[in-house]
Amino acid sequence: MSIPVHSPSTAEIRHQNSNKDASSPALPDETIDNAIIWSIKLDYNEANKEIKRRFEHWLQADPMHAIAWERIHSLRHSFSGTSASSALVMSTIEHADQQRHQSLLKRRKTIQLLSLASLTIGTGWLVRAQLPWQRLTADTSTEIGEQRTLQLADGTELILNTDTAVSTDLSGENRMILLLRGEIMVKTGADAHHAEKRPFFVYTSFGKMQALGTRFTVRLASEGALISVQEHAVALYPAQSQASYLVKENESRWLREGETEPANLLGMDAGSWAHGVISGNNIRLADLLAELARYRMGHISCAPEIADLRVSGLFHIKDTDKTLQFLAHTQPIRLSYRTRLWVYVGPAQQDNGAL
Amino acid sequence: MSKPDLTLHQEVHALYIDHYSWLQGWIRRKLGNAFDANDMAQDVFMRLLLRKHPVQAHQPRAFLSTIAHGFVVEHWRRRELELAWQETLASWPAPEVPPPESRLIFLETLIEIDRMLDALKPAVRSAFLMAQLDGLTCPQIAERIGVSLATVERYIAKALRHCYALRFET
Repeated sequence: MSIPVHSPSTAEIRHQNSNKDASSPALPDETIDNAIIWSIKLDYNEANKEIKRRFEHWLQADPMHAIAWERIHSLRHSFSGTSASSALVMSTIEHADQQRHQSLLKRRKTIQLLSLASLTIGTGWLVRAQLPWQRLTADTSTEIGEQRTLQLADGTELILNTDTAVSTDLSGENRMILLLRGEIMVKTGADAHHAEKRPFFVYTSFGKMQALGTRFTVRLASEGALISVQEHAVALYPAQSQASYLVKENESRWLREGETEPANLLGMDAGSWAHGVISGNNIRLADLLAELARYRMGHISCAPEIADLRVSGLFHIKDTDKTLQFLAHTQPIRLSYRTRLWVYVGPAQQDNGAL
Repeated sequence: MSKPDLTLHQEVHALYIDHYSWLQGWIRRKLGNAFDANDMAQDVFMRLLLRKHPVQAHQPRAFLSTIAHGFVVEHWRRRELELAWQETLASWPAPEVPPPESRLIFLETLIEIDRMLDALKPAVRSAFLMAQLDGLTCPQIAERIGVSLATVERYIAKALRHCYALRFET
């Protein structure tokens, strides 16, 4: 490239390049690379006088050099709007990367398991598990058998039970949680960063509810949302009705589109899952098995002869195979594994060939 | 208003009338969230109005959903970062946690950094951020991460070339 007799102004250079996008003339790679080398010497190292002198010489040599330099040098202050350290930024980005990677792996695994299961078993119980899109579009989700505790920015503790998906929005005038599937426990926080504590709502497709206290669970089922209050109260607002209903401490209630109605927890304690167990008294075995099935891939089927047996106590949900074995030891029942994912629970004396 | 502008505005207006509520529904299904779908649909049309050339879309819905898809991906990426940010903060030593009033700015910067540096290797990204955020020189970074000065300078050069391409060549 020839050395020009005089240095044209930036405006003239832009004019020369006007067949391109006027504000961003394309520069030769070599010029950009040279500007980068100079920037590293000057902006990212301690440069001595000799280096600065040689740099001035290069800068004057070609008007293209000046443009390249202006651009590269402007990158020196990229991201300077924050006082946070690189360590905090890197941790956050690594954490996000990790979560992306994990959810990708889990997604693949789920799809593999599902396609495997549908080959061996066919239709029926898979319907519940076949809505993975809700997991993919949610803010946070758990897989079957997984639980997760989130600390939200307003101090709220949100615990996700198995197979759950939520979106949260704490940026507006109201704090909002959208329950897309599964079950959550909410311990509302003090919202200390706001002068006035903002209202706290949980939305479901059946309607919304406002937390008027500190601790409650919401479980989404196909026929409604089941709300159980452990502390204080929650106000329910069905989607298709003007009516509202106040659920008080130790009460449970169904929220449906047009109404609310009292709920029967079938002998099980609401929220014990947050401690890793199903607890209760005088639970029908069929109901307990249906509840256990939520925490494992696959299906548990229960023979009618034993469905009405009654059980009490604590049943662990972290390892459901162990819990099933425990039941087989303490009850007149017998387990048969039809496939790895399908357990049949029948009477102890019955031969496992008949279904 | 020049002639291409007029054509563009008429086109966008027609697209808006015919497909706005469809697009809103499409986005709502993607987000699983009605709150942001409305804003995002508006953003798609704002983006169209800023174009330099007329749209001339033969398949308007495919065209609109392609743009919206970009927004949706960006939205989730943003949410992922927000969540990672909250979780990281929760485990961070208190004296180094930025004060609440500067956290929003930080989040914006974080999103910018993630967008600009995502394609870089972690080592390159890390070295570049030490230079940009902590104000360290190349010899200081070399000492901190235990590699040669030449390696650090190569990392910084790589990051600068990458940022240049994103900022000035697209």
